Amino acid sequence: MAVAAMFLAGAHSRLLPASIPFRFFGAAVFFHAVAWLALGAGFDLSTSFAGGLGWPLAALHAVTLGTLAMTAIGASLQLFPVATRRPIANLALARATFWCYVPGVAAVVIGMGTGSTAWLAAGAIGVAAGLAAFAVLFVANLGEARGMSLVVAHGAVAAFALAATLVSALAIVGGYTAGWETDRSKLVSLHVALAGYGFMGMLALGLSYVLVPMFALSQAPPAHRGWASFALAAGALACAALAALGVFPDVLGVAAAGFGGVAALLHVQLMREALKSGLRRELGVGFKLVRIAWIAMLASLAVALAWALGVDWPRLPTLFGATLVGGWLLTFLLGILQRIVPFLASMHAGRGRRLPPTPSSLTAEAPLVWHHRCHVTALALLGAAIVADAGALVAIAALIGLAGALAYGVFFAIAVARMARAAVDGGRPKA
Amino acid sequence: MKADVRRRRWHDDEGVHLDVRGLPPPEPMVMIMAAIDAGVDGDAIVVHHERDPVFLYPELSERGWVATRVDGEPGEVRLKLVRAG
Repeated sequence: MAVAAMFLAGAHSRLLPASIPFRFFGAAVFFHAVAWLALGAGFDLSTSFAGGLGWPLAALHAVTLGTLAMTAIGASLQLFPVATRRPIANLALARATFWCYVPGVAAVVIGMGTGSTAWLAAGAIGVAAGLAAFAVLFVANLGEARGMSLVVAHGAVAAFALAATLVSALAIVGGYTAGWETDRSKLVSLHVALAGYGFMGMLALGLSYVLVPMFALSQAPPAHRGWASFALAAGALACAALAALGVFPDVLGVAAAGFGGVAALLHVQLMREALKSGLRRELGVGFKLVRIAWIAMLASLAVALAWALGVDWPRLPTLFGATLVGGWLLTFLLGILQRIVPFLASMHAGRGRRLPPTPSSLTAEAPLVWHHRCHVTALALLGAAIVADAGALVAIAALIGLAGALAYGVFFAIAVARMARAAVDGGRPKA
Repeated sequence: MKADVRRRRWHDDEGVHLDVRGLPPPEPMVMIMAAIDAGVDGDAIVVHHERDPVFLYPELSERGWVATRVDGEPGEVRLKLVRAG
């Protein structure tokens, strides 16, 4: 009995229905455009943004919740079961995650942008419910994992960081909406470290140990060096969390940036070796973004170190946030996602076909090239705007970023349309 | 390393056999793709796997190869890879 298609059918327990990961990816693409729009709406406040309700905060959360976490959920639900060889425990809960989370993110963004605490509170409930449902599925899958211990370890720290991020977020929202008396400054510092480097960062590092060698067709990186990077990253995260809570903040803040920097250097070196030794030399425009993201990851830790050392520059926190969220996490995710989408689309469209459509035949290259140009230009302009304290540059960056986001949306829409067409053609009886 | 590769690769009337059981991802896929890229003696590659390699199929289709499941040992996923005709 033949083919890939049959095996995909046999692997249904690990390969989710296409509608589940792709609905998260589609929402992520949508909120990517919303984020640039929100940044443009708050352009005059963005260069010195360091928290507080308004459009810069809405833009930040459209990226973090709407694009980064949204993609992380979709990718984790699909990729971790393959890595751990355990199926997702409950598909209905995976679907419910989406329907709680997406309206929640939309309400949070509207509430933050307009300063409406009612929208913010309602959205926070949806986001919390969605993330809690995801956390249940994720932890259940990790708990039954067989093999891939390095990836699972990263996932476990990410899950712990997600739970702590959620608690800190609800405490901050409670301060805005219910007047809870909390130390907002400490909570925000904790929230940023746990969300950025904990949940999203550890997921990105962990999944890279599978995805980068898989796309480059290289051997898995040496495990002992991967574990060293993991231990340093986990230690850095613990130091950052303690520093944020006021435990020896000067010493532990510097230690966090230092350990994190060494962990990141080790990780990047492993990834570069994987790319260099891989059978596939041409990795496309997506990996150009990934390389930029690795530089930004290191840069964000350098800025964090400067901050921890007490460098007195008022826009340092803003530059740190832009480097971490825009430069490292968003750029990495958009680079990887443009490889994952056609790959998964090929797997799903291949059902019932002897020869599945190739990922390259499902990829529209031109929109990706335009997205790359716009994304890199927008980030450079945003960095320059923060350094020069020039709100007008933020507005230009937001426009160019929006153009890039729309180009990315075109790429995604074409991939989904081609997947659907290939699936229909594959299921049609031959004349 | 070379001894391990020799132990994992042999040739018979069915074609080239690759035993990728026990290798961590993505090494099974890399070993299979390396064999395809290097050119194989005969028309087929028989892969002895311990799980359904779901990420392999898009890579195979990029190279114009297809997979067919054949009978294997208990607990084994055995695939016969051939060029798409």
